[in-house]
Amino acid sequence: MSNAIDQTRRMLSLVTYLRERPGAEVAEVARAFGITERELINDLNVLPMCGTSFRGGDLLDIDTDGDRIWWHNVDDVAEPLRLAADEATALLVAARAVAGLPGLRERDRQALTRAVTKIEDAAGENAEGSARVGVTFEAEGQVFADIDRALSEGRLIWLRYYSHGRGGMTEREVDPIRLVTEGHTYLEGWCRVSEDRRLFRLDRVAEIKVLDEPADPPRLEPRDLSAGLVSPAADDPEVVVEVGPGGRWVAEYYTHDSAEELPDGGLRITLRSADPAGLRPLALRLGRDGRIVAPAELADQARAAAVAALQGYQLQGYQDGRA
Amino acid sequence: MAIAKAERLMNLALCLMNTRRPLSKKELRESVEAYREAWQQGSEDAFNRMFERDKDDLRELGLVIDVDENALDGEIGYLARRDRNRLPEIALDAEEAAALTLAARVWQQAKMSGAASGALQKLRAAGVPFSEDAEHSALQPRIPAREVAFEPLLVAARDRRPVSFEYRKAGAAVPEQRSVEPWALECWRGHWYLAGWDRDREAARVFRLGRITGKVRSRAGRFTGTVPEHVDVRAVVAAFAGEGATAVATVRVRRDAGFPLRTKALNTRRVDEAWDELEIPYGHGLGAQLAEFGPDLVVLGPDDLRADVIDRLRAVAGLAPEGQPA
Repeated sequence: MSNAIDQTRRMLSLVTYLRERPGAEVAEVARAFGITERELINDLNVLPMCGTSFRGGDLLDIDTDGDRIWWHNVDDVAEPLRLAADEATALLVAARAVAGLPGLRERDRQALTRAVTKIEDAAGENAEGSARVGVTFEAEGQVFADIDRALSEGRLIWLRYYSHGRGGMTEREVDPIRLVTEGHTYLEGWCRVSEDRRLFRLDRVAEIKVLDEPADPPRLEPRDLSAGLVSPAADDPEVVVEVGPGGRWVAEYYTHDSAEELPDGGLRITLRSADPAGLRPLALRLGRDGRIVAPAELADQARAAAVAALQGYQLQGYQDGRA
Repeated sequence: MAIAKAERLMNLALCLMNTRRPLSKKELRESVEAYREAWQQGSEDAFNRMFERDKDDLRELGLVIDVDENALDGEIGYLARRDRNRLPEIALDAEEAAALTLAARVWQQAKMSGAASGALQKLRAAGVPFSEDAEHSALQPRIPAREVAFEPLLVAARDRRPVSFEYRKAGAAVPEQRSVEPWALECWRGHWYLAGWDRDREAARVFRLGRITGKVRSRAGRFTGTVPEHVDVRAVVAAFAGEGATAVATVRVRRDAGFPLRTKALNTRRVDEAWDELEIPYGHGLGAQLAEFGPDLVVLGPDDLRADVIDRLRAVAGLAPEGQPA
């Protein structure tokens, strides 16, 4: 449900829009404004109460039969309004960020760059604040462009992909679904090896081929990404990490269920992971800043890996003539 | 039932836009039903407060409301002049419009997403040919802003207002009070950062929004320092993430392992069947990153990096720091 500010913003544009389009269709107007028909009807119920004088009867005579919209006393109240500072900022910051996305089609980049200049001109001084907000999107341009092509041509992708959790390379065939950028860029696709929907970070793609075979991802509900790109399933195993003050960053980087303050300024973080063994790098990274409390197997694996790594240093030490 | 706020705002906007002379508060009270109601059922004060708030809200929406201090025999008059509120001619072709539609969808934060669609609605109302079909639906750049501090800091940076907040530095056990003149916000790798003038430290500082605890409070007064022409938040943050390093480290990595290190290696040399030797940039945080590779990697040098990684591994192995009793 939109708030009063957004609704007012929308209604101001709506009257300008309707002025040019007598008999506009409800469905089409709702689509054009990116709202539901119900929201539009709600706006149309408010507008006849608006005008320059409720007692003078100078109200907007706008009505609808639920299908089409009519404005019976069109006048010149409704001129297109200039962009507010926040509107210009929101649009310009987003447009500049997308234009800087490596791998974006050149045609789209140029169109966006032209649009940015025109919006800056139209917004005038209200565009100034947009220089105080910046967003960087990262992607590997060539990989991005290949996936974009596979998506638009509906073709299967072959990847040589670095598995961060396992530390090694894997090869897989993936039916591409979408490219999602949130800081880094990810390919969301149906992995034919694991028979599951997976996210692949573009900077971990060592090699990519767009195959001739058509992509055929199973029909899936788009995942809701509002809480973050990583959304563990309810029945995924629980992982508990206790960190000191130096390990609080774990809570900033890992989607978690809870982060309980500890008396020493640290945190007890509970998260879920479909594959706890894949958190071995985290366990190794923590050093003296934290430890894996559960599952015990993960803590054991990390300990064994650390012991094995230290043996490597002893060998290296003997070779170099160090202690 | 009280008259909805959107209806009230809309009425005030229409009154102010459709007058050629300034209107007094009294005239507006007579023209807008909700004001009349507030005045009759509440008080002069209730109406005044409501009117001031609404005026601010409309200004926030971009309406330029002129105040004429002496328009009507000493009474203050208000109007929104058409020439100051009209969108200048803007001609966007279909390609530009489509590209903007994609861009307007990227904000995942309520206020910014509302503002971006508001901008598109104004452009659409002005005749820009946006297509209703969602193009590029498989392309989804997203700008998250889950940090609660984002919205107040955005406004403060816009209006150049000093703020104060509690901030927990990386690795600090307790948060500290910071007093800052906010210059610019930057989103990098999905996290928001603020650059500004730290009043107590009398130096420019970068803050990570996720480490701000509690409320961002607006402080009275203006900026005391000058705002630099160009604020490069990204360079500061990237350096902290170890980018742009000039020092070099040498590591041995197992053949099939360490892909992220290989992509940034300055030199790669084959040692034997099992191992490669890599020269990599040595920036902030490298020790922690290298520890992740466990037995697939051995640091050869420099010595401080080697000691850092060994200490991290000893900690995970349950051993005391080297040279200390267990």
